[in-house]
Amino acid sequence: MQERLSEIQNQAKEDLAKAESLEEVEKIKTRYLGRKAGVINEIIKSIPGLPPEQRSSTGKSANILKKEIGKWIEERKSEFNTSSEASLTLPSLDLSLPGEHKPYGHKHPITQTIDEIKGIFRKLGFDIEYGPEVEHEYYNFDALNIPADHPSREDFDTFYLGNKRLLRSQTSTVQIRVMEKKQPPIRMIAPGKVFRPDTVDARHASMFHQIEGLMVDEGVSFSDLKYVLTLFAQSYFGQDIKMRFRPSFFPFTEPSAEIDISCSICKGTGCSVCSHSGWVEVLGAGMVDPNVFETVGYDAEKYTGFAFGLGVERLTMLKYGIDNIRLFFENDLRFLSQF
Amino acid sequence: MRISYNWLKDYCKHDLSVEALAEKLTNAGLVVDTINPVDDDFCLEVEVTTNRPDCQGFIGIAREVATIVRSKLVIPGVDYETTTEKVNDLTGVTIEDNELCPRYTARIIKDVKIAPSPEWLQKRINSIGLRPVNNIVDITNYVLMESGQPLHAFDFDKLSGKKIIVRRAKKGETMEAIDGSKCMLTDEMLVIADAQRPVAIAGIMGGRDTEVSDTTKNILLESAFFDPRNVRRTSRKLSLISDSSYRFERRVDPECVDWASRRAAKMILDIAGGQVVEGVIDQNYLEGKKVSVTLRMSRLNSLLGLNIDKDTAKGILERLQFTIKPEGETEDNLTVEVPSFRGDVYREVDLIEEVARIHGYDKIPAESNIRVKLTQDNIFDKVTEKTKSVISGLGFDEVITDSIVGELQEKHGNIWSDDSSIKIMNPIRQDENLLRKALVHNLLRVKKHNQNYGVEKTNIYELSKIYLPRGDGEMPEEKECLSILGEEGFLSLKGVIETILSQLNIVQKLETRRCDFGLFNPEKSAELKLGGKLLGYIGELSREVINDYDFRSKPCVAELDFDILIENTNLESSYHKIPSFPIVTRDLAVVSDETVTWAEIKGCIESLNIVYVDGIEFFDVYRGKQIEKGKKSIAFRLIFRADDRTLKSEEVDKLQEEILENLSNAFGIKLRA
Ligand SMILES: [Zn+2]
Repeated sequence: MQERLSEIQNQAKEDLAKAESLEEVEKIKTRYLGRKAGVINEIIKSIPGLPPEQRSSTGKSANILKKEIGKWIEERKSEFNTSSEASLTLPSLDLSLPGEHKPYGHKHPITQTIDEIKGIFRKLGFDIEYGPEVEHEYYNFDALNIPADHPSREDFDTFYLGNKRLLRSQTSTVQIRVMEKKQPPIRMIAPGKVFRPDTVDARHASMFHQIEGLMVDEGVSFSDLKYVLTLFAQSYFGQDIKMRFRPSFFPFTEPSAEIDISCSICKGTGCSVCSHSGWVEVLGAGMVDPNVFETVGYDAEKYTGFAFGLGVERLTMLKYGIDNIRLFFENDLRFLSQF
Repeated sequence: MRISYNWLKDYCKHDLSVEALAEKLTNAGLVVDTINPVDDDFCLEVEVTTNRPDCQGFIGIAREVATIVRSKLVIPGVDYETTTEKVNDLTGVTIEDNELCPRYTARIIKDVKIAPSPEWLQKRINSIGLRPVNNIVDITNYVLMESGQPLHAFDFDKLSGKKIIVRRAKKGETMEAIDGSKCMLTDEMLVIADAQRPVAIAGIMGGRDTEVSDTTKNILLESAFFDPRNVRRTSRKLSLISDSSYRFERRVDPECVDWASRRAAKMILDIAGGQVVEGVIDQNYLEGKKVSVTLRMSRLNSLLGLNIDKDTAKGILERLQFTIKPEGETEDNLTVEVPSFRGDVYREVDLIEEVARIHGYDKIPAESNIRVKLTQDNIFDKVTEKTKSVISGLGFDEVITDSIVGELQEKHGNIWSDDSSIKIMNPIRQDENLLRKALVHNLLRVKKHNQNYGVEKTNIYELSKIYLPRGDGEMPEEKECLSILGEEGFLSLKGVIETILSQLNIVQKLETRRCDFGLFNPEKSAELKLGGKLLGYIGELSREVINDYDFRSKPCVAELDFDILIENTNLESSYHKIPSFPIVTRDLAVVSDETVTWAEIKGCIESLNIVYVDGIEFFDVYRGKQIEKGKKSIAFRLIFRADDRTLKSEEVDKLQEEILENLSNAFGIKLRA
């Protein structure tokens, strides 16, 4: 049995000398000193089966050898520890393994669009204003020069709550609230939710977001309107877009305009997004109607101004080529995590 | 409306290709949506804004084209021979409600021959997507499209009493319309009746009984002006929309009423033969008041940012058939009389728009002298943006859900208010007709949706408004709330809230108190307070809610009053000098009764006011084998530091002893053996 032990001693020495990495040393350690199937332990376990006279001396020798091998292993280990970090010849990590990921949250794409647009108008000196979502008919219609018999006041265009209360159908309400409180000059945008009992389909939702803008001062002209909205469109859609201002109609602006940009999908040659016209409508705007100024008590001879409005969902859909507005409110994480 | 490219040329000569025509119209405010080839012609779909009823006919659109290309507008002639018989001897018209019908004209044409229309007329009817019927119906449609004035031809011999009464329908009256629909009439609706019954719903559709048929010989031709609001209401109520109602709703030209009637009479003579009975019955209650408006060129140029001369503006207005009044003209001023078909123009600014749109918006320069100005800070925005960045950074996705909800939101108890939610009177769906009083239920629905698609972990939040009722008919309180749903347990979600507070530099302590909501597991839910004010609630969902939604995990939710966060936010970070001497730490494990809370232990240590205690950090709570029943082991770290030196071990030992002694006296807490 003593020969067997010295054999093990030599073999262990040899194995350790040949070991090329910390991992291999660990394997050697398990092989010789492992609690379950280590070579030394096997011998210790076999002692009770030895002749009585050999038992004590074998036990002693085995324990000594165990300590010795343990010492060699530690020595060898420390050699590797000092050299391994610098040594690229002994790779121990599969660098192609994927990194560990912490969950990453996303702001809703509508928030991101609103934040981006707020950022653009902040640079142009526009303040950010907010107004209530439950409104009085006066702010949603009367003060905006929308006559009592206008179709937009009907049941299928506005949600009513009784007692002249409604869910605002446009953020233009904030214009009036701001002008009631402040005197010109005014430069503001008002983002927020609006509600319409539209039949829900790929392009219409009963709740969506708008951003209203207003600038009032002495001498503000249609030229200023074109300038500001051109800066905005170039900033949001890109420097190389083409723009088209064409006459339109809104009760609270006169003259009124709708603003188209060249279709980013087909570059103006015509596709289904732009109904083959090469243009997509992105903004409604106009010079504030004198009746609106009269309502809020501004002198319409002294002050002029422009207002504009845009649909946040629509711009987001255009930007990313999203074809269904419902995706924004289903909140499927597979959708939200793409932005 | 639909127009034919070829047909339009009858009223205005031009050399524009169909594409060029479409572009010109669009740039003048008449958007051409589509161009479709029809045989050797094109059909253009033109979007007419509600303020421009004058463009509901070919002549109106031709007027725009003629103005743009500077050509002449050609109006067809309406002269014809009549019989010696007088219309008044054959029929009569009585208007009982002249507010709903301020003008009604009737002509009679005798001995017409009903037949299919000649080929050219059929082709025109086809070119705008209509179907030819017979010569009389086709002619009335043709003139409607041409002038924008709807007409109706009755079979005169089928009119009982040979007369027309314009009156409100009687309750319970019914009529079968030409399209076959059976109309139940109410006394709010205006009808054209004969001596016995309604024969047409005013401005919307004629009745089947008196329509022109193959055997018709004599015709009564109606041309009228009906109140736009009443036509719209009736049309909506009956769900009956026609080319006629579309135009009356938007207001027809009161001065075109008789012209269109004559035009149709002439065409009937030419195409269907017969004789026109002399004269017309014309009951007219409209005031033919002319509107005059003065335009200042200085105002026009300053409002538009242009520099155009008076002659340019004058030319545009004249071509649009405004009459220039020489007596009102000065160096800066133009005074014009507005034609009857332009009811939308009655102020200077309306004239400015006319000049601007014909001159071309593209000619207005995009220039500005706007002065540079700082944007004002908006605290709400700043705190909102910061909060969203923090939560998103912690791995939560932002959701936006509908403010309109169903009864479900009240099922598991109310968070903010027990008053009944504000009801929408005209919801799209009857089961979703309430304004939400909390956000959290919507987050549960989002979780459910995602779970259905196999997403197991839904860490989400919403920052939006809820609407708390404030009494019958009152405006609600619109409360901005932050609701969070987390999948990592109660303490993890509480940690998210604490992180938000610390990132907003909120120094007030977050206090927790057990609360009892059906929504929450009573063992793991709390009311949260900040600076003594209610901040909101946090809790693990109750078994009942988890079962109701069939959730496979145990989500925790929190809902916070965002205004309380804003109130306490400090957007300015403050700087503290980094300490010069190192800290000394002691990790302790103590055994206490179950009833003692961490807040009490921490509060006890803090109350000692030991200047060298720099921090008390919680590690964990352990219950198990080595700990007596009814007790728990709490592990934490004490951090000691002095500003002027490195603390000696013996000093720290003493402080630690003092702390342990106090804990022992206060709560019977012992160091774990
Ligand atoms: Zn396109």
